[in-house]
Amino acid sequence: MFPAGPLLMRVLCVVLALTSSLAAADDYLTELVAAASARSLHQDPQWQALLHYKARAGLFGLRSLADDSRFFNAPDGKTNPQAELAATLAAFFSTDAETAEQQNPQCRFMARYQWLKATLSFDANRLPEQPCARFHAWREKLDPERITLVFASAYLNNPSSAYGHTLLRVDRVGQADNTSLLAYAISYAARADDTNALLFGLKGLFGGYNGTYAMSPYYQKVAEYNDFENRDLWEYELALTPAEIERILAHVWELGPINFDYFFFDENCAYQLLLLLDVARPSLALADEFPLWAIPADTIRAVAQIPGLVRRTVFRPSRSTVLKTRIAGMDAGQIERALALARIGTPLDPPSMASAPAAELDLAYDYLDYRRERGDLQGPEVAQRLRALLSARSKLDEPGELSIPTPAVRPEQGHRSGRIGLTLGRLEGHAFQELRLRPAYHDLLDAQAGFLAGSQIDFFNVVLRHANDSGQVALERFDIAHVVSLSLRDSLLKPTAWSAYFGADRLRKGDGTEGMRGRITVMGGQAYGLTNCCQWHLLAGGDIQGSKRLEDGYAAGGGAKAGVQVDLSAAWRVAAGVRYFHYFLGEEHTAREARLEARLTLSTDWALRFEAAEQRELGARSTTVSATLYRHF
Amino acid sequence: MKLRTKLFVALVSLSSSAGVMAAGENNVGSCGWGSKLFAGQSGIFPQAFAGITNLSFGNQTFAISSGTSGCTQDGAVSSSWQTALFIDGNKEKLARDISRGQGETLDSLAKLLGVSDNDKAHLYLTARQNFDRIFPSAQASTDDILQGFQQVLAQDDTLKVYTAKL
Repeated sequence: MFPAGPLLMRVLCVVLALTSSLAAADDYLTELVAAASARSLHQDPQWQALLHYKARAGLFGLRSLADDSRFFNAPDGKTNPQAELAATLAAFFSTDAETAEQQNPQCRFMARYQWLKATLSFDANRLPEQPCARFHAWREKLDPERITLVFASAYLNNPSSAYGHTLLRVDRVGQADNTSLLAYAISYAARADDTNALLFGLKGLFGGYNGTYAMSPYYQKVAEYNDFENRDLWEYELALTPAEIERILAHVWELGPINFDYFFFDENCAYQLLLLLDVARPSLALADEFPLWAIPADTIRAVAQIPGLVRRTVFRPSRSTVLKTRIAGMDAGQIERALALARIGTPLDPPSMASAPAAELDLAYDYLDYRRERGDLQGPEVAQRLRALLSARSKLDEPGELSIPTPAVRPEQGHRSGRIGLTLGRLEGHAFQELRLRPAYHDLLDAQAGFLAGSQIDFFNVVLRHANDSGQVALERFDIAHVVSLSLRDSLLKPTAWSAYFGADRLRKGDGTEGMRGRITVMGGQAYGLTNCCQWHLLAGGDIQGSKRLEDGYAAGGGAKAGVQVDLSAAWRVAAGVRYFHYFLGEEHTAREARLEARLTLSTDWALRFEAAEQRELGARSTTVSATLYRHF
Repeated sequence: MKLRTKLFVALVSLSSSAGVMAAGENNVGSCGWGSKLFAGQSGIFPQAFAGITNLSFGNQTFAISSGTSGCTQDGAVSSSWQTALFIDGNKEKLARDISRGQGETLDSLAKLLGVSDNDKAHLYLTARQNFDRIFPSAQASTDDILQGFQQVLAQDDTLKVYTAKL
């Protein structure tokens, strides 16, 4: 042997040490993997929750809902929980140092690391713990004490918001209700950049978009939902333990840049947040309650039904709710003067502002700011007037705090989203029975409590009719979508009422022929409310129908509809309406309908409905009366 | 109509770019929130909510005199930027609350400044009485507001201790 110099000795020593430490690491890894396997940790609900493994309808076995290779350490991690666990353990042995661009796997998969470390009792001598400075700095900034689930009520003018939206808020230590703006909010949303509404709709429905989790200051969310979109916010404070809160946050850290395929119906914002809650406490198994679709209000209901999980609720009114409360406490003269103060186009009149009382200045400001926020009014003149109003207000020593009543019924306390009904009826004296099934969501005659007033969102309403005469069961109607928004106009706010229908129903002609007809109807107009009485509306629009039974196969035309709704009591609502359409293309004809409906609420999820309608179209005149027992589920 | 469409689309994007957590990517030194629309746009009251449209990183919305390289780390705001960013993102509501001498936005600012419970009433009163100084014009920028606030606090014996966090 040649003489081994000191340097060579040192090199050999280092090499030997490295090899043995690698071997030691290998040994320890083997041990850990064996321990995990012996305890079937890959089947543990916590591991399943952390990796978002679900057995989705139609697929065999488990698949992770994450659609991003960065979420997995094993090549088959998406479908193989055991391989993923072993590969994750292996990844933890990495000694990669943390940089601004990269993290060590222990840090990147912080929730997994924390759980596996506790469950397998990692030996820090054999598996050194990485410092993870970025994670700890982030977590410290959050300063978490509580988690609050926030529900933004329905917003009909944006299809993806029609059912509401949910997000989580990380409440800080020592945070009070009046400083909740300073909290951070965690939200899941689609990254959509299509301006074409149809493309947007299709991609949103069928997973064409990526969804990601993101964090932003809560005040930004409040401005987005409360102010810009005018939605009431409901905040549900959750009773999660400190350990559960840590787990959610560590998991949110893991999810940061990970892409999920966004599906409007089933893997949407509400569903993804349930996955977060399941990570905190796998025994909740909230996400499993929504195998097919997740409507945000339903997910809130699922959370609220867990005993003790919701500690308290806070209502945060939208701008329009605030405005409505203001004018409810003022007389016509005050409102008129306030509107004058807010009027753009007239010269600024400091003396009249200086002598105006606080309530009028407050209404003037809130109203003008509301219009500006909506984009109705813009420009330096608006800015000047707003500032002038506030300047005048600042001279008054009057806090003028407005107390907004919290609605008696919360969104999750209203009727359930699905509805099934059994009908007995007569068409021109001929008896029939119907089975009606509507998976979602709410119409103008359902019990209104907990829902956006004047709103209707019906999806995939199916009616099957059995006629005694023929003894046959046939499809009577299939309403794919019927969305109505009858927002009421008042002295301040002038929204447009509208309705859109897309579906098919059975047409019956005077000569006895009948068949299915597809139809699209779009209408717009106005709706008004008379205090404590009723609402009425007038809409006009166009209608296109297609059917083999129609001459030329189709008919197109325009018309109008007028209706009134009266709440006779808490349980009784009555609605009457007339509709007149003239079709001048295809099979020319006129269609008229007069309708009277009444609903009797039996309980939150049970109701009776009575309908009487007279229709004249295509040479047929028919009178239908019916009674339906509805159950929401 | 075009604005509506853009906003409609942007609404869906929601917070997709804002404050994305950087469990793998670089997110140091970005100042992605705050109102980008404020930049180059005059008026204390912007015309549309800036946070939704056109989110992007690395845009400073107002002049930084302190010279720090960035205001967020992995989506969480660094303390030296918190007050400034909060004011920048809540200008109108802050002005409204100050003019009325009460409100949630004002309470939140007081919390950021570390104002003790005893001093809050005095702060609110002083701010309200100096509204015109803090918000000197309809075109006031966040810098103007910060400066105005600083001056008002500095001149008050009880409140000058709170200028540290401005």
